[in-house]
Amino acid sequence: MSDQTVTQTNEEQQSNDSTEQRSNSLTVDVETDERLVDSWTDYEFEDEAAITVEDLDVYYGDDHAIDSISMEIPERSVTALIGPSGCGKSTFLRCLNRMNDRIDSARVEGTVEVDGENIYEGDTDLVQLRKRVGMVFQSPNPFPKSIRENVSYGPRKHGDVNVGLLGRLLGNDDREVEREIVERSLEQAALWDEVSGRLDDNALGLSGGQQQRLCIARCLAVDPDVILMDEPASALDPVATAKIEDLIEQLAEEYTVVVVTHNMQQAARISDQTAVFLTGGQLVEYDDTDKIFENPESDRVEDYVTGKFG
Amino acid sequence: MSEQTATRTAAPAVDLFDRIALGVVGLSIVTFLLGWTTLFERTGTDTAVAGLSLFTLFGAVFLLAGIGLLVSGIASYVGAFETTADRYTGIGTGLGLGIVGFAVGGLATTILFGVGATGSVLVGLVVGLVVTSGVAVLPEDLGTTFPVGLLGLAWGGLLVTGAVDAGWFWNPPSLDATFHAPIVVPLATIALSLLIAWSGAIVAEGFGSQGRQNGAYLLIGLNAFGMIAVLLLLILFVVQKGLPKLLEGAQFGPGLGISVPFLTKGVMLGQQYNGIFPAIVGTIWLVIGAVLLAVPIGIGAAVFLTEYAEQGRFTAIIETTTNALWSTPSIVYGLFGYAFLVPRFGNSNSLLAGMFVLGFMLLPLVVITSRESIKSVPDEYRDASAALGVNQWQTIRSVVLPAAMPGVVTGVILGVGRIAGETAPILLVTSGQPFPARAPSILGSFRFVATPPFVQNEALLQASSALPYQLYAVITAGVGQEEAFGWGTALVLLLVVLGFYAIGIASRIYFRRKLHQ
Ligand SMILES: Nc1ncnc2c1ncn2[C@@H]1O[C@H](COP(=O)(O)OP(=O)(O)OP(=O)(O)O)[C@@H](O)[C@H]1O
Ligand SMILES: [Mg+2]
Repeated sequence: MSDQTVTQTNEEQQSNDSTEQRSNSLTVDVETDERLVDSWTDYEFEDEAAITVEDLDVYYGDDHAIDSISMEIPERSVTALIGPSGCGKSTFLRCLNRMNDRIDSARVEGTVEVDGENIYEGDTDLVQLRKRVGMVFQSPNPFPKSIRENVSYGPRKHGDVNVGLLGRLLGNDDREVEREIVERSLEQAALWDEVSGRLDDNALGLSGGQQQRLCIARCLAVDPDVILMDEPASALDPVATAKIEDLIEQLAEEYTVVVVTHNMQQAARISDQTAVFLTGGQLVEYDDTDKIFENPESDRVEDYVTGKFG
Repeated sequence: MSEQTATRTAAPAVDLFDRIALGVVGLSIVTFLLGWTTLFERTGTDTAVAGLSLFTLFGAVFLLAGIGLLVSGIASYVGAFETTADRYTGIGTGLGLGIVGFAVGGLATTILFGVGATGSVLVGLVVGLVVTSGVAVLPEDLGTTFPVGLLGLAWGGLLVTGAVDAGWFWNPPSLDATFHAPIVVPLATIALSLLIAWSGAIVAEGFGSQGRQNGAYLLIGLNAFGMIAVLLLLILFVVQKGLPKLLEGAQFGPGLGISVPFLTKGVMLGQQYNGIFPAIVGTIWLVIGAVLLAVPIGIGAAVFLTEYAEQGRFTAIIETTTNALWSTPSIVYGLFGYAFLVPRFGNSNSLLAGMFVLGFMLLPLVVITSRESIKSVPDEYRDASAALGVNQWQTIRSVVLPAAMPGVVTGVILGVGRIAGETAPILLVTSGQPFPARAPSILGSFRFVATPPFVQNEALLQASSALPYQLYAVITAGVGQEEAFGWGTALVLLLVVLGFYAIGIASRIYFRRKLHQ
């Protein structure tokens, strides 16, 4: 499929859809037309945007991993990021809480606004940012500590609860506060019933699915606004996966959830809107999940979601 | 394996075959053990079993085992038993047996014909080559049994006929040494027992890959057993020699309390029982001081190098340097302390200087092992912590270090074993009177003063004895001290080091528990 034909189809599409309320306009940079791409990313929604990404580029050394992506992520909803392996989903996700800072070769350009603040501006407080934007990783990674310590790890380290000897001596023992945080977080993560009797057992003794929910609880304990999840269920069996999926849908009532997944059905089941990344770190289409899976604009996206490509 | 047993039980004579093979293995294990006990003089040429002298017994066993191997090899070759022998023995086994052939051929030539070094090496080479190539192309059932069986027959024959008896010796013309039977026979017996056990184990599993695996297991098992046996014998030896001195004048029992003068007294004129208490205290303080100095600095350096410093040439240079420092001879550290520390610590030998020198010696090992164990903490923990907004230092303190701690402790344990036994640096920077009457009283000597450094400790700045140094003093000077005093000291040193190990292992278990509960 040559770039020329792509452009034409896009234009036709655009004129056809012009009456539609939510139009997907074509973003073609005419000046630099060697980069002609099909791209429908002007997803419009009614809610506030929790995260606004503009012209985001990420390089690993000379590798261009994210190619000028712009998108807005609505609050209190589930946004799924899908796409073939190596297309930059994880990289994009890590940009949202600046975890890419931890990779030496990574270089990020563009702006990411969380609650209206550009997090790539000079004086961003990483601690505050990561408290607001939590992250759950692909493989469950609880600390080799007790379940309770895992959940209260964040609040303890941020000084929100003092359970140390000093605190006890000074008479501000926050055990009660800690207990509440642990219970609330575990309940939100749908794990409380399973572990309430053994909070002091080592977290490594839990099953994989329980560990992953523990990681979610650990993330919730610092009371974030946004939760980023990178293939949170890919290491789990179908039952555990179903639990995580239910959990994600529930969390979306209070939190903004961005979830990377390889599983189309999962994306279709749990997300409100879906962003499709394709090779080269391009965001090709971003729209309501139903639209993406039933009637995508891009042929390439259609091929991808129907399993013909990728 | 079950499959194989099934096919083999089909043949009626298999029982006999198995029994021969197991008999060979069993006999060789017996001679292996007896070889060791003879080497360490627990059994000797005068030991008689069932009327046979030990060496004759060895000979008889080797004859039996040799015949057993030859018979089973031939039986398998002619197809009397169903085995899974390969078509060729292979070059690996060939080379191994070839080396044996080289040694035996060469030695036999010099001993029997008095041929010089060059001649016997040439003969050995020829024999080795012949054995290697012969074994390599023989079918496996012959290649693995024949050379070993023949060697068993030859050595057994020599022993049974008395050609080599307890009074035998060999005086090589080119060397100023004599090899006597009480050493040579057990050594040869141990080596040959290993070979025969290996061969028998292969036969027992009917050759093939099962057989080779069985042979390798037995060989490794016997070797490991031999090593451990040597270590145990060594410890037993020290205990045996040292215990009487240790318990000299000791009293314990109901109403008496416990008193062990060797452990609680110094050396004084007119005292009934002298002891090594000052040296024990000296060693314990030296180790404690060195650990207190080296562990915090070492862990700190390791954390900086692994977590903060940019990995590159700088860290590579530091790594090479630390490795080199760890292998630096202790006398060099001692000399450094002597030239640099002693003049700064009141110009006399002192406990403090010893602590510093031993601490410097321990430091590289702590850095190396801490770095390794910090590196092996999974990055997922660091990512998880960072994603919660926890800063790097807190992450290191609450996640990385606890996970690395068991490894760090292992390193410290190894290091303590080394420094506790160091004599050379102590000799240069700490030692004073070799047999002091009183122990340094570190805890009782702390004084607080108004001027920097605000604390003073007289005892730390005084010379002290230490166990290895005392041992050295007993052996070299020994004026007025019997040898038993030295053995007693050695035993106590062993116990002190084992005590430190026990502490180390207990703390490692504690840290592991905390990680896994
Ligand atoms: N730490 C890194 N250093 C260098 N290159 C990287 C690094 N991480 C990712 N990349 C490169 O960036 C590109 C995008 O990787 P990314 O991990 O974001 O893909 P992904 O869409 O998450 O893939 P997957 O679905 O397999 O997880 C890939 O080409 C990858 O090789
Ligand atoms: Mg990924």
